[in-house]
Amino acid sequence: MEDKFDCIIVGGGIAGLSTAMTLARGGAKFLLIERGEFCGSKNVSGGVLWGSDLARLVPNYWEEEEGGWERFVSHRRLTFMDEQSAFSLDFKSGHFAEPPYSGVTVLRARFDNWLAGKVEEAIAESAHPDESFLAQNILVEEVLMEDGRVVGIRAGEEKFFADSVILAEGINNLLTRQVGLQSDYVPADYVAVGVKEVIQFDRSVLEDRFQLSGLGGLSNEFVGFASGGVEGGGFLYTNRESVSIGLVLGMKDLREKKHTPYDLLNAFKAHPAVADTLRGGEVLEYSAHVVSTGDIRGMPRELYGDGVLLAGEAANLLLNAGKAIQGMDYAMRSGLLAAETVLAAKQKGDFSAATLKRYRDALEESFVLQDMRNFQGAVHLLHSPQMFGAVPNLVCDFGRQFFTVDSEPSKKSSQMFRESVKRHSSYWDLIKLGFKASRSL
Amino acid sequence: MKKLTLSERLGLVNYRNQGRSEAKPHILVETDICNSVCPHKCTTYVCPANCYTLDELGQVHFQFEDCIECGTCLYACDQGAVTWNYPNPESGRGVTWNLG
Repeated sequence: MEDKFDCIIVGGGIAGLSTAMTLARGGAKFLLIERGEFCGSKNVSGGVLWGSDLARLVPNYWEEEEGGWERFVSHRRLTFMDEQSAFSLDFKSGHFAEPPYSGVTVLRARFDNWLAGKVEEAIAESAHPDESFLAQNILVEEVLMEDGRVVGIRAGEEKFFADSVILAEGINNLLTRQVGLQSDYVPADYVAVGVKEVIQFDRSVLEDRFQLSGLGGLSNEFVGFASGGVEGGGFLYTNRESVSIGLVLGMKDLREKKHTPYDLLNAFKAHPAVADTLRGGEVLEYSAHVVSTGDIRGMPRELYGDGVLLAGEAANLLLNAGKAIQGMDYAMRSGLLAAETVLAAKQKGDFSAATLKRYRDALEESFVLQDMRNFQGAVHLLHSPQMFGAVPNLVCDFGRQFFTVDSEPSKKSSQMFRESVKRHSSYWDLIKLGFKASRSL
Repeated sequence: MKKLTLSERLGLVNYRNQGRSEAKPHILVETDICNSVCPHKCTTYVCPANCYTLDELGQVHFQFEDCIECGTCLYACDQGAVTWNYPNPESGRGVTWNLG
C-alpha cells in the first residue's frame, strides 16, 4: 500500500495538533482530519491553557505580537458567593508576569487555528512536506478494523489507511465508542455542561476595570450561588478585548434539580459582584459544550489498542482539583506523548498494543495521570453538596459580619464564626470536611 | 447589562449551511420514548439551545436546527431516545464558532 500513512489523527483540537506538530518534527507521514471548517471552529473551552507545554510546541510563543493566545494569567482569584455577597481569595504576583508563563487564556476558534498554522509550517519544514496533510471540513465516520486491529478510517466514500490512528475527537468520543474502548452510553454522572458568553469591552475599559497591565490577565473561579445550587461553579477569564464568563454544571445534578443552563447564567451575571464587572459590555458569542468532570470512573477502559491511541478529552483527561480546571494542558501533553509513542513504534516497525502500551506508561509517569489519580478525592470533595452550598454561604455570612461596622458593640471574630457555622453547617460537618480536604487537596 | 434571551443568544451563533432549505438532521430522537416512559423529560430544560420543547399537552418535540453540538442530550437522556452523530459538513447543520 503505497499511500499508507504512519499515522492518521482524528480531530484538530489541541490534542490532535500537538500530536501533529510532534510527528512533523519527528519525520513521520501523517494525515490530520478535522471536521470543522477550520481547526477550532467546533471547539469550546473556558478557558485557560495551563502549564508550560505550549512553549515546547511553539518556542518563545510570547514574542509573537499577533499570537493566537489572549492573555497570560498573572492574577488568580477564587470567589465564594452567596446571593448578595462575594468573598475572594486573591493572588497577584510579579512572578507570574515573566515568560515562560504558566497559563494563558485562549479562545479556541482563534487559538487552534493559529496552532494549526504552526503545524502547517512544521510540515513544510519536515522530512515529508508533500506527504503529510492537515485536512479540514471532513468528517470521519468510521474507524476501519482488520482482524481486531485498527488500520485506517473512512470519510464518506473515501478510505485512508495508516499504521496507527490517534483519536483526538474530544469528549463526545463517538469513534472511541465505536472501536469498543468506551461504552456506547456514558452516564451523566461523569460529565458536566459548560455554558459561556464572550463579552466585549473597549480595550482600555477592560484593562482599567480589571487592572491589567500589558498582556497580563485575570483568572477568576466562583463557587456557591454562581451555579444556583447545582453542583459546579463559575468562571471569568480576561481575553485581549473581552471576558469569557460562564458556568460548569454537573449534568446529573442539573437534571435532578431541573435547572436550565442559560437561566443560571443570567442569574450569575446579575449577581451584584459580577454585574459590576460586566457593565457596558457587549455579548459577542454564546456557546456551550459538555466537559468531563475528571472522575476517573468515566475514563475509557483503555487508552490504546492494536493500532490505536486516545488523546485529550476523548480519553476523558481532565482535572479540577480546586486549583484550576485543567484539560487543555492534559490534551497537549497526551498529544505529545501519543506522537512520541507512534515515532518509537515506527522505528520498531511494530504498532501492536504491546508497543503502544508505552503511551499509557508515559501518561502514568507524567503529571496527567499522576494528578488525576492523586486528586480523585478532591474531585469527589468538590462535587459534594457542602462545597457549593454550605461552605460558600458560611464564608460569605462570616465575611458580612466581620466587615460590618454598625455603631453597636462588636463581637469577637471567633463568636462571629461560631454563629456562621451554626447558621449554615455544624462543627462536626466542618471537621469531617476539613479532614477530607486535608487528605485530598 | 441587559439580560439576553436564548433566541438573542442563538442569534449570535454562526450556523453552517444556513442557506440550505433541507439540512440533514444529525441527531435523531425517538420522542415516542420521551412521551411514554421517560420520568423526567430532562432534555426540555437541560439543552443549552432549547432544541427540545414541550407543547401544551406536555409532549416532547425536537428540532435540530438550533443545535450547537454540545453533546448535553447524549448524556442527559438515560432512556435511550437520543441517537447522536456529528453533522455532515456538506449536508448537515451544526456550528462554526467565531471565538469558541
